[in-house]
Amino acid sequence: MNKEFKPRITSFLCKWCSYTGADLAGTSRLQYSTSIIPLQVMCSSRVDPVFLLKAYLSGSDGVLLGGCHPGDCHYETGNYHTRRRFALVKEVFESLGLESERLKLSWISASEGPKFARVANEYTEEIRKLGENPTRKSIFL
Amino acid sequence: MKAKVGVYVCECGPNIAGKTDLDEIITYLSEFRGFGDVELVVRKYGFLCSNQGKEYLEKEIRDLGLTHLVVGACSPRDHDSTFKDVCGKTQLNPYLYKIINIREHCTWVIDDMDKATEKAKSYLRAGIARVLYQSELFESPIDVNPDVLVIGGGVAGMEAALALAGENRSVTIVEKNDTLGGRAGKLRGFSFQEFNKPEQVEKLIETILGNPCINVFLDSEVTSVIGFLGNFEIEHVSLESKVITELFCGSIITATGADLYETTEESGFKYSESDDVYNSMEITEMLSSGDEITLRSGKEPETIAIVHCVGREELGYCSGVCCTVMMKTANMIKARYPDIRITQFYRDICLPPSGGQELYAAARSSGVNFVKVQSTGLSGTTVKFKEKNGDEGEQFFDMVLLASALVPSKDTPALSELLGIPVDETGFFQEAHRMTNPSATTTDGVFIVGTSQGPRNISDSMLFARASAGQILTKLLVGEKLVPEVAVTEILEAYCTGCGNCLDVCVYGAIYPDEARGISIVNEAICRGCGNCYGSCPSGALRTKHFTNIQLFREVDEALR
Repeated sequence: MNKEFKPRITSFLCKWCSYTGADLAGTSRLQYSTSIIPLQVMCSSRVDPVFLLKAYLSGSDGVLLGGCHPGDCHYETGNYHTRRRFALVKEVFESLGLESERLKLSWISASEGPKFARVANEYTEEIRKLGENPTRKSIFL
Repeated sequence: MKAKVGVYVCECGPNIAGKTDLDEIITYLSEFRGFGDVELVVRKYGFLCSNQGKEYLEKEIRDLGLTHLVVGACSPRDHDSTFKDVCGKTQLNPYLYKIINIREHCTWVIDDMDKATEKAKSYLRAGIARVLYQSELFESPIDVNPDVLVIGGGVAGMEAALALAGENRSVTIVEKNDTLGGRAGKLRGFSFQEFNKPEQVEKLIETILGNPCINVFLDSEVTSVIGFLGNFEIEHVSLESKVITELFCGSIITATGADLYETTEESGFKYSESDDVYNSMEITEMLSSGDEITLRSGKEPETIAIVHCVGREELGYCSGVCCTVMMKTANMIKARYPDIRITQFYRDICLPPSGGQELYAAARSSGVNFVKVQSTGLSGTTVKFKEKNGDEGEQFFDMVLLASALVPSKDTPALSELLGIPVDETGFFQEAHRMTNPSATTTDGVFIVGTSQGPRNISDSMLFARASAGQILTKLLVGEKLVPEVAVTEILEAYCTGCGNCLDVCVYGAIYPDEARGISIVNEAICRGCGNCYGSCPSGALRTKHFTNIQLFREVDEALR
């Protein structure tokens, strides 16, 4: 494996849980991989399947989607919709022969700073094993 | 006009300045040519959130004629609104600004200065790219009606009404029964832990009826609710005369109470109306009225069984109040009739309120017998039970008292529909958030108090009533306008096919069909801007302002550059 490979993981985090969880990882001074690029959305359900594709085809080595735990959605049921849409995109990825492991959905609450850091590190390792996004700079959306 | 983006990085003392090479960032961004002919002004400052910092920023925005602003600092939770307010004082629309969370997401989580600097650079680049695609949004304050509707005139409803009337709010109580007071009214002082005078509820009712700010409609039901926080249109009907009354208010408190679980033969409770079996309501009514405790035959009972947790297994939750009521009942009976032998069949004893343990201790010391069981049933007044060790037994009593669980009142499903507030898995109204916002609901302006929200005792019900009143008093101020969320979703009508997917996913009911035109319409006053509907739209007809595709796409692209 190329030692220079630095994974880049576009992370869509919901404002109420996962983004705040990432904040908590910060205030707790937890060190985690620099690969994570956190972007805020109001609700994970705002992340429509096209976003995941877009982030992937723009060259992300991994795409992380973070939402509130099922039942805890700030908007009641948003994350249930997210979960279904995410499963759909995964399937589309597989049927297109793309690596669906490059997409990850994780429920991280506002109080789970350590979990955020752990997910960030573990997912970075997974992506490191997968290597660089093969579509990078060859497909444009 | 050529865009001129101000990028200001806060040093945040050593928090950012000590962990990144700020000069390197400034040089890099100043020389960055990825945004075409956009002019970038990149500077740093000690503490931007300080008064001097805010004044500095305000002056910079004005003097340099900035068209967009990016602040690299802390979490938006800390200071997003601070810098939004700074923009508000200048020519710059606050929605053309973005805060980038360098501190929590870079410097506090990356010890390596080079790496932190690199991440901060790409993070700031992404922010600049995004802000260039943000559009001006204008907050348009709307007039609000400060009046309040209270549905249900039990203690919770009355307490809320009184708290609001105390601040000169106009309150209307719509009660379906012919008296105020609800369940507690029937108990009279029985369940009040703090005040034991039986006339307490009567006093509350008198105060309510004598208060010029409070309007009471008895024998009435709410039949129609239209509108949103600040502007509700209500219709309620008199059950007797069928006269419909219209009412306008800004918020609604639901205080419709709960019912008692009714036993079934299938669950092992077999008795008839002629048997001396009473539920907690009936016995407490009997006790608080001061009547003799007698059997239907007219004789005084010699033995009484108290059966706990009736309905708990079927319902799947503990009501949390019955144990206390039954301890009190046992103690009151023992005080008046020391010779009556009382046996309590219990699974767990749950005594959360202060003073609960003392009631239990008093029952124990007055000779009340306690039998721990796994399950119970009834055949007439014979209690059948399975003991902890598995032994089954049965015992005849003169009288049986059932500690029945509290269940949602019959009106709950209809009201849930009418008010657009969901119920939880137990069937009671669901709060906006169990821990952080327990008296509000997902519909802004609609509150739930008392046992309509789940089993709770009188003092807690009153506490929640005051909490809701407090929220209303601080949320809807007389004479002040309300600023609705502006970063909401809009429909691009030309793209909308009227499929209705978005209607189904919106929990707030903010989208409704325009059947004549075959499209969906967003009520922006109700929309919270979550964007779920966007994810459901097959034709891309929805646009969540301030979270548009192009904004997020540009952010992604630039972060990955």
